[in-house]
Amino acid sequence: MSGARRIEEGVRRPDRVTLRLDGADLAACPGESVLAALVASGARRLRDDREGTARGAFCNMGTCSECTVWVRKGAAAWVRRRACLVPVEADLCVLTHAPEAT
Amino acid sequence: MTPGSSHPDILIVGGGLLGCASAWHLARRGLRVALVEQSQVNAGASGQNAGSLHFQIERRFLEQGEEAASDAARIVSLNRLAIAEWQGLEDMLGRGLDIAMHGGLMVAETEAEMALLAFKVARENALGLPTRLLDADELRARAPCLSPHLAGAAWLAEEGHANPRILAGAFAQQAAREGAVIACGARLTGLAMQADGQYRATIEGLDGLGEVTTPRVLLASGHWSARLAGLLGLNLPLYPVPLMMNVTERGEQVLPFLVQHVGQRLSMKQSEDGNFLIGGGWPSRFRRRADGLPDLDRPGEIVEANLLGNLAVAARVMPGLAARSLLRSWTGTTCISADQLPLVGEVGKAPGLFVAAGGSLFTLGPVLARLLAQTIVDGRPADELALFLPDRFAHLNAFAVLP
Repeated sequence: MSGARRIEEGVRRPDRVTLRLDGADLAACPGESVLAALVASGARRLRDDREGTARGAFCNMGTCSECTVWVRKGAAAWVRRRACLVPVEADLCVLTHAPEAT
Repeated sequence: MTPGSSHPDILIVGGGLLGCASAWHLARRGLRVALVEQSQVNAGASGQNAGSLHFQIERRFLEQGEEAASDAARIVSLNRLAIAEWQGLEDMLGRGLDIAMHGGLMVAETEAEMALLAFKVARENALGLPTRLLDADELRARAPCLSPHLAGAAWLAEEGHANPRILAGAFAQQAAREGAVIACGARLTGLAMQADGQYRATIEGLDGLGEVTTPRVLLASGHWSARLAGLLGLNLPLYPVPLMMNVTERGEQVLPFLVQHVGQRLSMKQSEDGNFLIGGGWPSRFRRRADGLPDLDRPGEIVEANLLGNLAVAARVMPGLAARSLLRSWTGTTCISADQLPLVGEVGKAPGLFVAAGGSLFTLGPVLARLLAQTIVDGRPADELALFLPDRFAHLNAFAVLP
């Protein structure tokens, strides 16, 4: 999927900040959810289930836990969070898989 | 109900594990089976329980002294049959059921609990169940993810867990393939015995009311079974018990075993997907109806103190859990009989009326359904069901008037 998911026309957004998503830079708007930034970047396949089927965010409201990612702010420890509930800010690192596996 | 199923050989009430498995066994043996389920297949306790395959004598039987433990010990021989049943189930149903039988641990934290385990293991061994007592070091070697403060455990290699979300549905699918008619969204609202001994059942379904006439009825409706027997003026000593379960997010596979606790309410396991399932019989609480009585038709409410208590025991036994996140807690309603053993078999006062209910029936469900189907087809109770026959409570129906 292309990244053309964020409505740009007629919307004023703050200056982008840079996230680190799975080791790559990703420009995102501060205040939007990490999930929104992921979806806008095309990162919809967040894991595969044990049959190899793609899984991704379902509810976007903190209930299904399908968007769970690992998040680290600056030099703090990795924590697991639901991406739909974490606001984007500068110096945020996000992993879609466990940090041990990287 | 479809027109062809208005005169089935048996009407099964309840689309849980017992109902669906019985439907399959009976349909395979050539009976015309109609099953009605008020909601969806597996919507009740069969799909909400912990999914434990536990064959050691349960903690609830041990906490009531030696006499109750001796009663419970009689279940052990049936547990041995259940082990064989589970081992053959995936082949029998021709599909994966997330059955993991890699062993089970009933842990102890204190010396007093270890003594209770030793008592239990001796009794089980005498009955042919090969449980083994592990000391603290042996336990740590076997399950390094558990807390080093544990005093030991009773080990049984055949224990484990299965996925309660798929089992009843798998039976239902095979039952339908064998010709059973399975009607969901269909509720039994009336049941009477006619002068000829046949049963006349009124079913309220999506297509309005339907009437079914049948020589046999099986109540496999969990705690509702008692109320449905009430339609015939019969008493079944089954009482609803609202419980709760919890699941954490997925983690690395570290716990291949079922874990129970001999002195605390705890069942714990890691699913095939990596989630930890935590339960063990902690109560939820019924909501109240307008008239103040408990509302048995709605799921119970979580009791926060019990939620915290359950998780605390789990984290004490497996410290790594403390760093995990709780995904979800849910409630379901099982039932308990007056003597804690299920009711499986014919109700003597009402020939042709069978019941299969009584709680804790995930582990025993598949084997009990097979034995019950055998009972129904043979027209006499399978020997293995002797302990569970409903007529041990026949005195409760001494004054019933039928038809």
